[in-house]
Amino acid sequence: MSKVSFSTLAYCKMVSHAAKYPHCEVNGLLIADNATKGNKLVITDVVPLFHQCLHVSPMSEIALTQIDQSASSCDMYIAGYYLANETLDDLSFDKPAHKIMDKIAENEADVCMVVINNRLMGINHKQSALIVHTQQDDGKWKRLNNSNVQIENTTLAAASAILQQQLYNNLIDFDNHLDNLSLDFLNTEFASWVEKTSGLNMGRKLVISKLVS
Amino acid sequence: MVHLSEAQETLKKYREDNERKSKEVLNLWESCVKHKIKQLGNDRYLVLEQVLIAACDCNRIDIAKVCLQMLRDKFPDSLRVQRLSITILEAEEKYDEALEALDKLIKADETNAQTRRHKVAILKAKCQNIEAIKELVEYLKKFMVDQEGWQELSNLYLLEGEYAKSAYCMEEMILHNSQNHLYHQRHADIRYTQGGTDNFELARAHYSYAILLNPNNVRALYGLYLTARSLMSTQKSNQTKKATFKKIATLSLKRVEHMYSEKKQLNKKNQLYVLETLMGSLHLSLN
Repeated sequence: MSKVSFSTLAYCKMVSHAAKYPHCEVNGLLIADNATKGNKLVITDVVPLFHQCLHVSPMSEIALTQIDQSASSCDMYIAGYYLANETLDDLSFDKPAHKIMDKIAENEADVCMVVINNRLMGINHKQSALIVHTQQDDGKWKRLNNSNVQIENTTLAAASAILQQQLYNNLIDFDNHLDNLSLDFLNTEFASWVEKTSGLNMGRKLVISKLVS
Repeated sequence: MVHLSEAQETLKKYREDNERKSKEVLNLWESCVKHKIKQLGNDRYLVLEQVLIAACDCNRIDIAKVCLQMLRDKFPDSLRVQRLSITILEAEEKYDEALEALDKLIKADETNAQTRRHKVAILKAKCQNIEAIKELVEYLKKFMVDQEGWQELSNLYLLEGEYAKSAYCMEEMILHNSQNHLYHQRHADIRYTQGGTDNFELARAHYSYAILLNPNNVRALYGLYLTARSLMSTQKSNQTKKATFKKIATLSLKRVEHMYSEKKQLNKKNQLYVLETLMGSLHLSLN
């Protein structure tokens, strides 16, 4: 995979997740559309997972099963993983929780991993805060040059607006959902907030499209 | 405009509940408390300390320094105020200076738990987890009743992938407070992550106890489902045991389903559909 692009919604959700819990490490899954599979990876949506305890596996298993199910029901797939570390300058991705990434890469070829650079999380986003890695043939992760990561300027403007208006507090991750089952970790409401703030159309996002029989 | 007494109450509530509401604290400070600090009586020093820490959290070093000056004027020799000045150094990322100053404080008063805890936190901020663990272990030898200390050590071990040691710390927490369902659930989480039949058995016991203490702990319910499912696959020959585990798995999912159905939400039906697939995989793994 030589080029990766991120939708406004995906970018805003990742940044919001990190901003909502500035003192915690956070992680989540990247979602891509089957229809846009080609020589460029297009991340259309993300699902924020945890902020409390990333390094035990039970709830990750539950989350992955549920999200995989939802994704395939609307013709999408889990296309990667993102994380932000607890300490400011930590850009590593070798902690136990991040083994999820290798599992995802086993199932899909077109995947990438994102580390959020905490230093670039200013309320006036001039440049993208994402460090994108792709997997080499030998299984190692290598940083993708910034020129191959496409993020529109309108996306950065939308992210700045969300940070300034503190809308990130409305983002729900899977941990929030487990604490209160009525909270929606697919963040339909948050997407409409982003839509209103940015004036952009969010395009396709992850939903659960099949109903119980 | 927020009324002063109202602001004072809110700040007090944050302090007592140990809530990290740094932005809110700073807003209260800027909007009203700042100009009327003298009217707060003896409470004002606690408020100054609280605002100072919140300011460091939000990178408003200017406010933190104003608070520090006021506290210094009142208590020139206080160790507690000195520790706050170290907090500011830490916020300015002058970690080495902060560590040096802390070592002096630890020497001056060896019985002070806070200074030692602070040192662990700075080591962690420097990404030196191994050193932080070493320091914390030394600290816990002397201050064995510090539950937050054990919790932090458990988390640090998890980061390093040392599950057995991390589980030991959780056992220590359970000894301190055996009625807390969250400790049992976390302990079970760690055991499940570790894997192996013995650990699955331990996980099953602790998840079950967590559910007994709080039947609404969704993490424990899902955890029990997963553990029972894993245990089922280890029982190839013993059909009675296998049937028991299947029953446990089914019951815990039923309980989650029930909890979803209690919630009035739009996507309830969708969520139940997802649960059904979990149930389906349970039946599959039986064959």
